[in-house]
Amino acid sequence: MKERAVPAPRQPSSFVALLAGAAFALVLAGCAVQTPRLLAEPPADLPRRVELAETPFFPQEEFQCGPAALATALSAAGLPTRPDDVADQVFLPVREGSLQLEMLAGSRRRGAVATRIPGTLEAVMRETAAGHPVVVLQNLGLSWIPRWHYAVVIGYDLDEGAFVLRSGTTERLQLAMRTFEHTWDRSERWAFVALPPGRLPTSASEEEVTRALVAFERNAPPSAAARGYLAALARWPGSLVLAMGLGNARYAAGDLSGAEQAFREAAARHGSAAALNNHARVLIELGRRDEARQVAQQAVRLGGPLHDTALATLRAVDE
Amino acid sequence: MKRLQRLFSMLLVICFANATMFQVAQAALVTTEQVAGIASASGRDASPHERLSALMARSDVQNELERLGLTPELAKERIAALTDEEASMLAQQIENAPAGGSDVLGVIVFVFLVLLITDILGFTKVFPFTRSAR
Repeated sequence: MKERAVPAPRQPSSFVALLAGAAFALVLAGCAVQTPRLLAEPPADLPRRVELAETPFFPQEEFQCGPAALATALSAAGLPTRPDDVADQVFLPVREGSLQLEMLAGSRRRGAVATRIPGTLEAVMRETAAGHPVVVLQNLGLSWIPRWHYAVVIGYDLDEGAFVLRSGTTERLQLAMRTFEHTWDRSERWAFVALPPGRLPTSASEEEVTRALVAFERNAPPSAAARGYLAALARWPGSLVLAMGLGNARYAAGDLSGAEQAFREAAARHGSAAALNNHARVLIELGRRDEARQVAQQAVRLGGPLHDTALATLRAVDE
Repeated sequence: MKRLQRLFSMLLVICFANATMFQVAQAALVTTEQVAGIASASGRDASPHERLSALMARSDVQNELERLGLTPELAKERIAALTDEEASMLAQQIENAPAGGSDVLGVIVFVFLVLLITDILGFTKVFPFTRSAR
């Protein structure tokens, strides 16, 4: 609750945290501290220093670090947003805070793809180096007296051994990497980037990017979702889910020939019943009934959980 | 706690029952969520969300939500923004949740709030929210 507790975790608490962390490590044997290793041998391709200085700053109002952090990240992604614009979507009055899930959902509703990134300091650095501010959840308190806080990492300095953040009421908070790591560790290293569709995080896994895009498709204009799938598919061409997403998003956007192409390619590459079924459906709408029948028959032959769906599609060919 | 669990499983059963019916009726495009296996059973697409919307139409639930500082419209929008995977992840956590209310209304609102507000960290006692500068 004290003002200084937000921007600057102090030495004593980080010392206690160190002890707590050590005890925790003994139990779980999995809490490697990354900072010393990273400072001793930083990856050669990382710049020594990064600061996304043009990232906007919204000093948070009471309890509203979630909306403030989200507005910061969205504005930096080219979607001008004020904390008030998102407070309704992510702030929960009774809890006096914002939930992680709703931070992701709130980004999507504003038109950004929110993708979780790996819980490593290196991933955070790589994203900032790529020009992507990173929204992080920190626990500035201790595990048994949590003081949750959202902030935005906008850069780092390897020589100083510090991260630079937009945090709370502090426009430029320089936080020692070690301290940052401890406060972040206690949130299970939760972090995400909010980017315009079509732009991919540099560090995120195929799984997380896919998850983010599928969620985005639910809320976003179909053409924007298609843009996102197309970019991801360029990086992971072997993904059935991404290929299906591209087809579905194009279909929803009214781009029938684009959808036909996406489903045709997905079906050829993966031989998937879902792709065949959707391909047949689009062919029906395009009036290419003979092709549709063939494709639907293929889908029916594959059987599996989509057998009934494929059968209905086959019947629809001649309706 | 027992009662709460029972009620919630009933809710789930209704959701699943709906889903099966929808599966027969809907035969258009297979959704991306289905392909991703994110909706763990195929065809379970809209029903959890529809179920929640129906609950929210109840006036006593609305009153309770308003007391908590959420308008029904906002709650509806916020639920719609979650994927089925997110929704079911939240739903799973309810078993570990502390008993929220002893009456039916309390339980409904509790289920709601869990769907709305719990997060991946776990429901035990810790929500990721800030207690910030005053």
